Amino acid sequence: MMDFLKIPIYRFLAAAAMLIIISEQVYGQKIVRYDLYVKDTTVNFTGTPKRAIAVNGQIPMPTLTFTEGDTAEIYVHNELDEETSLHWHGLFLPNKYDGVPNLTQMPIKPHTTHLYRFAIIQHGTHWYHSHTELQEQIGMYGSMILNKKKEPTIPTVPIILSEWTDMKPKNVHRMLHNASDWFAIKKGATQSYSEAISQGYFKTKVGNEWKRMTAMDVSDVYYDRFLINGKNESQLSQFKPGDKVRLRISNGGASTYFWLTYAGGKMTVVANDGNDVEPVDVDRLIIAVSETYDIIVTIPAVTPGSAPTAYEFLATSEDRTKSTSLFLGEGVKQLASPLPRLKYFEGMKMMNGMMKMNGDLDDMGMNMSLNQMDMNVVMYPEITGALKSKKKDTGKAMDMGNMKMDDPKKVDEHAGHNMYNSNALSSITTLNYAMLQSPENTSLPKDAPVKELRFVLTGNMNQYVWSMDNKVVSERDKILIKKGENVRMVIYNNSMMRHPMHLHGHDFRVLNGKGVNAPMKNIIDIMPMETDTLEFAATESGDWFFHCHILYHMMSGMGAVFSYENSPANPEIPNPRLAQRKLFADDREFHFMAENDIATNGNDGEAMLQNTRWSIGSEWRLGYNDHHGYEVETHLGRYIGKMQWLMPFIGFDWRYRKMGMDEVETNLFGQRNTKDQRSVFSAGVNYMLPMLVTAQAEIFTDGNLRFQLERMDIPVSKRLRMNLMVNTDKEYMAALRYIFTRYVGATAHYDSDMGFGVGLTLNY
Amino acid sequence: MATLLLLSTFLSYADIKNVTTENVTIAGSCSQCKEGIEAAAFEKNISKANWDKETKVAAVTYDSKKTSLDAILKKIALAGYDNKSYLAPDDAYAKLEECCRYERIGKNEVVAQKKMTDHEHDAGSIETINKAKSADADPLKPVLDAYYAVKDALVSSDGNATSAKATSLVKALKAVKMDELGSEQHMVWMKVMKDLNFDAEHIEETKDLGHQRDHFSSLSENMYKLIKSAKPSQAVYYQHCPMAKEGKGANWLSQVSAIKNPYYGAQMLNCGKTTETLK
Repeated sequence: MMDFLKIPIYRFLAAAAMLIIISEQVYGQKIVRYDLYVKDTTVNFTGTPKRAIAVNGQIPMPTLTFTEGDTAEIYVHNELDEETSLHWHGLFLPNKYDGVPNLTQMPIKPHTTHLYRFAIIQHGTHWYHSHTELQEQIGMYGSMILNKKKEPTIPTVPIILSEWTDMKPKNVHRMLHNASDWFAIKKGATQSYSEAISQGYFKTKVGNEWKRMTAMDVSDVYYDRFLINGKNESQLSQFKPGDKVRLRISNGGASTYFWLTYAGGKMTVVANDGNDVEPVDVDRLIIAVSETYDIIVTIPAVTPGSAPTAYEFLATSEDRTKSTSLFLGEGVKQLASPLPRLKYFEGMKMMNGMMKMNGDLDDMGMNMSLNQMDMNVVMYPEITGALKSKKKDTGKAMDMGNMKMDDPKKVDEHAGHNMYNSNALSSITTLNYAMLQSPENTSLPKDAPVKELRFVLTGNMNQYVWSMDNKVVSERDKILIKKGENVRMVIYNNSMMRHPMHLHGHDFRVLNGKGVNAPMKNIIDIMPMETDTLEFAATESGDWFFHCHILYHMMSGMGAVFSYENSPANPEIPNPRLAQRKLFADDREFHFMAENDIATNGNDGEAMLQNTRWSIGSEWRLGYNDHHGYEVETHLGRYIGKMQWLMPFIGFDWRYRKMGMDEVETNLFGQRNTKDQRSVFSAGVNYMLPMLVTAQAEIFTDGNLRFQLERMDIPVSKRLRMNLMVNTDKEYMAALRYIFTRYVGATAHYDSDMGFGVGLTLNY
Repeated sequence: MATLLLLSTFLSYADIKNVTTENVTIAGSCSQCKEGIEAAAFEKNISKANWDKETKVAAVTYDSKKTSLDAILKKIALAGYDNKSYLAPDDAYAKLEECCRYERIGKNEVVAQKKMTDHEHDAGSIETINKAKSADADPLKPVLDAYYAVKDALVSSDGNATSAKATSLVKALKAVKMDELGSEQHMVWMKVMKDLNFDAEHIEETKDLGHQRDHFSSLSENMYKLIKSAKPSQAVYYQHCPMAKEGKGANWLSQVSAIKNPYYGAQMLNCGKTTETLK
């Protein structure tokens, strides 16, 4: 062996080996060192230069490769002017190297270096990303490949999927919290009344608003580009016909699920979240945010003598707005079929059926789990057929076609059972978690005590609050577990969105009917109304984050901390109280929004600061003369309940208006208000009624009482919104607003105080 | 003169700036193809194409700052038309009008390959070798393959395809050389041969799925008897759906263990279970 080595290298190795022996008493390990320089950069994906973060000058971050048994030494040099951190997703490692700022370590300060040093004790496809604020959205994600000591010789390509938006991620987050429908406009998913009427779904739309839902979508954010290894389209022409290629795919997207399809035939799934599974052939699969899959594809052989073909590996965002492709092989490119657009109103109809009036979901006894029943299939034209033609011969999502049956009742029973089972409805095989099987016995230690935890995933779109058991991270105590226990989690998703729930530092078994061969995972996608049961052996110590991996959900507080009882203090956290306060600051953050209409008859608008539970808002109506008056109302309120329909508030109301000599204003209760100038405090309550109408009752310190009904932002057409308001002060208002851009619109409105006006609306 | 030329170019492409024009061959066959190709290439003020039915050449004109020939060719392929850079997805091609189903010269058949990989996963390498040997030897293999083709057409509820595949089945049945069969199988063959032919011919004659499925049910019973009488060269799955034939239930043979029900097609594709594996 020594003969093969040049002397300097040998010396270096010997020195390194000595060091290891002396310092760690570990034998036969190889140290693999990476230096990562985190730096601001400018990228141009769309034609406009934008800020991003690159590591070693590249996006995605470099692929880190280790072999089981190595020791990883990763030096992170933070050359940013802000804090950062790196989390090694799916890795088993000492808690202090897990990379969650303010939980397992303090943030890496600007212009400092931090060392992560841990032994690689597993193999598989994993990835790494920043766990600080929204940095993952703008470039801080990369593949992390842990090889077995003996890897199969098949050619292998690490793939990391991601998305890009030209908008600053902070602004994305702010707009989500303000229930802006700009993303829906960009996606063509407004689902307005006029679209509903033209497609024959008026009743569906009314039913939807009656149940206090706004337009439904499968994902929240509009993205400009989707990327495979940082490129929208690329080709690997080194592969020849007949070759098999293993793709080691990680979804590094901040909030996008991807459908994976391949133009060259079936794909064989061989591993999930870094753990081998029994090979299973599928036509397509959806990869959840932060999930990893190893799949083997074949470049189809050609008849001898003919030219080779490249085959498209296509990753389409779940909302199907755009896609990204990788062509495998050389020659003319065989395209995969693009996924047709979603039938949103079918989805809305489905949601109407599932949503109870109190905001809970009703699975109608289907006991859904493991992605086997995908309610979204009603929106997939490739499974449930294209949009209905004008002939309404079939009321159901499925076409009864040529079927001859004498007993229609039997058909219905059978159909109802399979109505959402994509594999039963079509000849396309879609992967679900029930199809995954570990080649090994994964059962947990038999004699260990079992701790059972139950979680309900909760949230609502209106305030963009995402939580577990209606508690965000800052509102919940750490969940204590004991080393040596088997922890079983039963998770039910009672929210309208799917959530990829990720546990740090552990793999859990997914109880999916495969007995002792239950697959091991570290993130599980839970669709609305699904219940999944997971279990893991508590073998570590310290604090481990368990959270939804959709970045904007996590930052809104959807998570919890699993804490081992009697863990030794973490040397990376010198001041635990400070760290906790900083951790909790994420979901306590206030988001600002403002709107102002500069119109011919006056100037009116509002500004609001809101967080998970609190809202401070001010509305103003400023006329151009004293008769029209000037009025400012300010409310400070707290949202109650998981749907946040109820908000008691206190307020302050100031008004100045020049009134004529005999002019007296009375309200419906005969109470008078003759004062030109009025400044009063108030207390009241807001409640969201069906049809998204806000009812407000308010009592003022001068004894006056006011009731008000208001409905904002009725989606009339794709870009046209209507506002309506009436109250017991005999004030009323109707307005139409046309949305030009994210920040600019035009308004025409009639107001009982100020009359008719048209104007320009600016909103932020 | 140059000015005039420039002017005329300018006038004719007044709508598209930074004009580039390239001639590319695009597969197609009739005037409906022309419409399809040109519609796919058209984007207001950015790109357009003029395709000639005789030469199959399209003059593609585009704004080189806003798009590229590659992007336009991709759109044309997604509409169903093969070209030098891209091949159309199968379903895009399948959706073309009848007259437009041009011959796909550049396309490599993926299906054959797909089958190959399926086999590889089904069995270990030793079995694969056995398979290869006995595949030549098994005189009923063409019949079984033709039967599977009929079954798959029924799975996709396609009456036309079922009828077409039944034609091959009738041929395959006629081509069986009895003397190559083992003695036991020979006996069974003599018993079921007539019925097999009868059902296959009836499936061929009609395009009515209900009728085809009735015959397919008895066809499958006889196929089962025949295949069971000798060890098949590769695993055959005998599958049962309790709901078929108005609740009487019906069986079929399949080359894969996963259930794809030929009696209902898309409505309840996964209804049923494997009752016996012949191998």
